[in-house]
Amino acid sequence: MSEPIIDLDGVSLCYRLAKQRIPSFKEYALHWVRGALTYEQLWALRDVTLRVGRGERIGIVGRNGAGKSTLLKVISRVLTPTQGRCVVRGRVAPMLELGTGFDFELTGRENVYLSGMLLGHSRRAIDAKYDGIVEFSGVGDFIRSPVRNYSSGMLARLAFSILTAWVPDVLVLDEAIAVGDVHFVRRCHERIEELSAAGTTLLLVSHAPDMILAFCERCLWLEAGRLVADGAPDEVLTRYEHSQGAQAGTAAPVPDSTQPPDEPTASS
Amino acid sequence: MKELFQHRDLIWHLVKRDLRVRYRRSTLGLLWTMLQPLLMMVILHVVFSNVFRGELYAYPVYALAGILFWNFFSQSIVASMNSLRGNAGILQKLPVPKAVFPIATVISGVVNLGLAMVPLFAILIFTGHPLSWALLFLPVSILLAGLFTLGAGLLLSPLAVFFSDVVELVTVVLTLLLYLTPIFYPMSIVPEQFRWLVRFNPIRSILEVFRDPIYFGKIPPPQHLAMCVAVAAIALLIGALAFRKSSDRIPFYI
Repeated sequence: MSEPIIDLDGVSLCYRLAKQRIPSFKEYALHWVRGALTYEQLWALRDVTLRVGRGERIGIVGRNGAGKSTLLKVISRVLTPTQGRCVVRGRVAPMLELGTGFDFELTGRENVYLSGMLLGHSRRAIDAKYDGIVEFSGVGDFIRSPVRNYSSGMLARLAFSILTAWVPDVLVLDEAIAVGDVHFVRRCHERIEELSAAGTTLLLVSHAPDMILAFCERCLWLEAGRLVADGAPDEVLTRYEHSQGAQAGTAAPVPDSTQPPDEPTASS
Repeated sequence: MKELFQHRDLIWHLVKRDLRVRYRRSTLGLLWTMLQPLLMMVILHVVFSNVFRGELYAYPVYALAGILFWNFFSQSIVASMNSLRGNAGILQKLPVPKAVFPIATVISGVVNLGLAMVPLFAILIFTGHPLSWALLFLPVSILLAGLFTLGAGLLLSPLAVFFSDVVELVTVVLTLLLYLTPIFYPMSIVPEQFRWLVRFNPIRSILEVFRDPIYFGKIPPPQHLAMCVAVAAIALLIGALAFRKSSDRIPFYI
């Protein structure tokens, strides 16, 4: 492996929750004077060291609250680690939540531009990709109607189309693409394969083992903010599922990634 | 800096959105931007013009120029403080340079100020105030006012994220500053022993560089201009440093 594209060294991240919520400056000053500022520390990541090479495809599993999303946010440069060092070389395209950055009053077309710009692209660069984005998303004439009329499937399709219209160095997906219909999911898979072939590194959080087995060649398992396993997907997934079964007595439910096609909620 | 430049289209887009929201909400929006300072000017004129007759000729022009500056300054500061909160979703999920929001806010404030200048010119012509070539200096004055305001906005907007009462606190301070700045009164009415308070108010130096070309029809004297440039540069530097220092913490508190 040449120079790693993602290089995390002893990364810890702490959400400092004030025990008593101190929303105002006045109260803060009062508490500070009395020396009564106490915080509850919640370490979402603890001492995570991770090196990822260009073009690797990595799946991330773990229970709710294990730190998966926080790890993705650190790698996407949204959150800065409390301790440790995080170096990501190149452009990250993150999809941490469905429809982030969409303005629901604007039309699909306007949102293509808004989202593209939020990802750091220029108007001209978006002009060049616009037709391709609309075509891939398959939202058709809905592109001219406000995004608030879109179904969640359409939102996901449009967001994914914008995100992957350029070849990013790192593609970060937080269970985002499981919403579309069968046809779209297949197209997503193809698109991811293309990007991967072009050198994009993939990070994928999923509760669906099938997705990880299908896409990834390496799997991380996070438990209470720690990286407890890092290896071949089948091996890590087996251990993870085993531990889940031992913990809960039953296997965790697997979200169904092949939902029926979504219908628009309103017509334009 | 490089990142901000890369996001220049985004900044421009945010400016346009801001303006569209401001002027679409009400059909009176655009009219109101022009009318509000005029109404304020009329009232100040009715109440104060006799009082200041000795010190100020053409009081309406003096007052209106002051009001326009003050509206720009105070509204932009309050709007930049709300700009980060208003985009919480984006700041928590996308690696966007956070400064784009206060920057776009101040730019849309500048555009707004430009629109509000239209009635000012109408008043200049209507009252027969001499129109001087010095008016061409105004873009420089507005640029300096914009940089100063941006500095203040960058300093205050993260604080507004950390503590929700900062917006109210700043509103109160702004009201105090309004009276401490010679917006609608002349410097000469301030008692001698307190005049330093007004003189060392940095906002005054920005204001005068804006008002000199309009009211006196002259380009500000070099020493005033130098002072104004220094004030704007220092404000911007402090604001930028404070913003950079606190910007990592913003997503945690928003």
